[in-house]
Amino acid sequence: MLAQYGYVGILLICAIGFTVIIPLIPKILMVMGLIPTKKNPTKEGQYECGMQTIGKTWVQYNFRYYFFAVLFVLFDMLTIFLYPWAVNVTGLGVGGLIAVGIFLAILIIGYLYAWRKGALQWK
Amino acid sequence: MIMEHIQFIAPEISLLCFALLIVLLDLFITQKRVLPVLSVIGAIVAATFIIVIWNTPPVGLFDKMISIDPFGLFFKLLILAATVLVILASHNYVLKFNKFQGEYYALLMLSAVGLMLLVSAINLITIYVALELSSISLYALVSFLKDKKSSEAGLKYLILGGVASAILLYGMAFIFGLTGNTCLTCIAEYVRGMPFKDLQEVPALMIGLVLIIAGFGFKIASVPFQMWVPDVYEGAPTTITAYLSVASKAAGFGVIARVLMTVFGLPVWLHNDWAMIIAVLAAITMTVGNLVAIVQTNIKRLFGYSSIAQAGYMMVGLAAMGLTMGTKENVTGGLIFFLLSYTLTNLGAFIAIIAISNKINSDEIEDYNGMIKRSPLLALGLTICLISLAGLPPTAGLIAKIYIFSGAVNMGLAWLVVIAVINSVISAYYYFKIAKAMWLGTPVTEEKVDASWPEWLALAACVVGVLALGVVPGLFMNLTTAAVRIFGI
Repeated sequence: MLAQYGYVGILLICAIGFTVIIPLIPKILMVMGLIPTKKNPTKEGQYECGMQTIGKTWVQYNFRYYFFAVLFVLFDMLTIFLYPWAVNVTGLGVGGLIAVGIFLAILIIGYLYAWRKGALQWK
Repeated sequence: MIMEHIQFIAPEISLLCFALLIVLLDLFITQKRVLPVLSVIGAIVAATFIIVIWNTPPVGLFDKMISIDPFGLFFKLLILAATVLVILASHNYVLKFNKFQGEYYALLMLSAVGLMLLVSAINLITIYVALELSSISLYALVSFLKDKKSSEAGLKYLILGGVASAILLYGMAFIFGLTGNTCLTCIAEYVRGMPFKDLQEVPALMIGLVLIIAGFGFKIASVPFQMWVPDVYEGAPTTITAYLSVASKAAGFGVIARVLMTVFGLPVWLHNDWAMIIAVLAAITMTVGNLVAIVQTNIKRLFGYSSIAQAGYMMVGLAAMGLTMGTKENVTGGLIFFLLSYTLTNLGAFIAIIAISNKINSDEIEDYNGMIKRSPLLALGLTICLISLAGLPPTAGLIAKIYIFSGAVNMGLAWLVVIAVINSVISAYYYFKIAKAMWLGTPVTEEKVDASWPEWLALAACVVGVLALGVVPGLFMNLTTAAVRIFGI
């Protein structure tokens, strides 16, 4: 029994070792003199290509994006379930039709709610 | 195969339909007073369905996902009763968030659906899904006031609830990994067939068991998972505090009792182990709850700590239930009776508090001074509930405590009962601190405090229930004994 947990232990040791050693490799190579240490502005920049960012990263997003994201999830779910059903409509028969009908009804109630509460208006 | 069993989940389906109907109606009507009426009707329809299927023999539905048995049905009725009482008590309170009445009632009912599924779930997956259904609705409800405290409470509840869910899932994963099954009876079969003599020989089972107790411990607010209680109880709308303290807790105990008893009930060494964990946690839980409650000045916080202490007494019953497995003794209904009594008592107290604090706009105990002169009936109702919470005659609290403690003594938990009795004495101090303020304090103003008729109705129902359970407990004991009989062997 315990031997099986031993594998988990070995995996844990490997994982910790890996995460500690990998960041240390550049330091080790630098000490060994394998990495050139000449500095220049391009090398010191954040990226080798692309623009410098303007302003702070903590910008306030308009919270309406959030509504659209949630509604998107709603329709995403719809697709996920409708697709497999559509592939095998005849095979699933009336039972499948009723099940999809109930599923659609519940989602449409959610959609109606968002619509009536004005989540679709950008103002 | 599915259609022939559909009548057994009719209570949940009908309640769900009513919740959706409320969401829809709320969009198109302006007369919001229809919504509470509709939600009460929904709960009554669901209760009718439960009574219709009451006498069917225990049966597992949908490939052992949901079970219909007296235990689950009893809890479902209890949850529905609590929901109806909370809806009645919300009559004036909902005016604080007038625009969102539809969402309030619909979320309350969705959470009730989740709790009802939770107490009848016999599969780890259904347990988790039902738990999330009720919890997510409650996260939203807790932050419903949208002020600083309420939002903070909601966020705290969400984050800590998420952590608890993760811990529970981790525990379930261990159990699934060990047994290869998610259905409770299949896991029980595997566990009973194990050739071990000690929990330490099966570390996976031990970790799974401890993590599952921790996950449910959050729901029932046992120490050391009680940190969220005072803040959430204080910040949440008072009606939701009432709902959290009874329905959510009752369902939590229902599911933890079912999981521990059916899965880990036998062999004997296994239930001895977890019963001892529960017993020690019970002792700490009630002591911490009672000691911290003494110094509280906010009545909602005080009831938060009081509910932690009460959870401690209930865990005494749970430990005793565990120890009876595999012995000649019948499993006692002490825990169930206590939950019934606690639900009525705590709801009664909260309904009085809702009515009073709605008028005086304060939750501080000192503002309750002289309440007997300002509203004799509300003060009297609250006092009866406080007497019951302290466990004095002629109320339900006394019988419930005797029932639960005698069961524990029979099972050799005398040390725990001694601690529990000492705790009851401590608790009397702070319960009577409120009563003393109401009866002997000098009122700040002479302004009368009144309640609306649904609040009176709900309070009367609770007080009558508390007294009935205290005077003629025999009627209800049969019910509770029948409910736990499914765990017998």
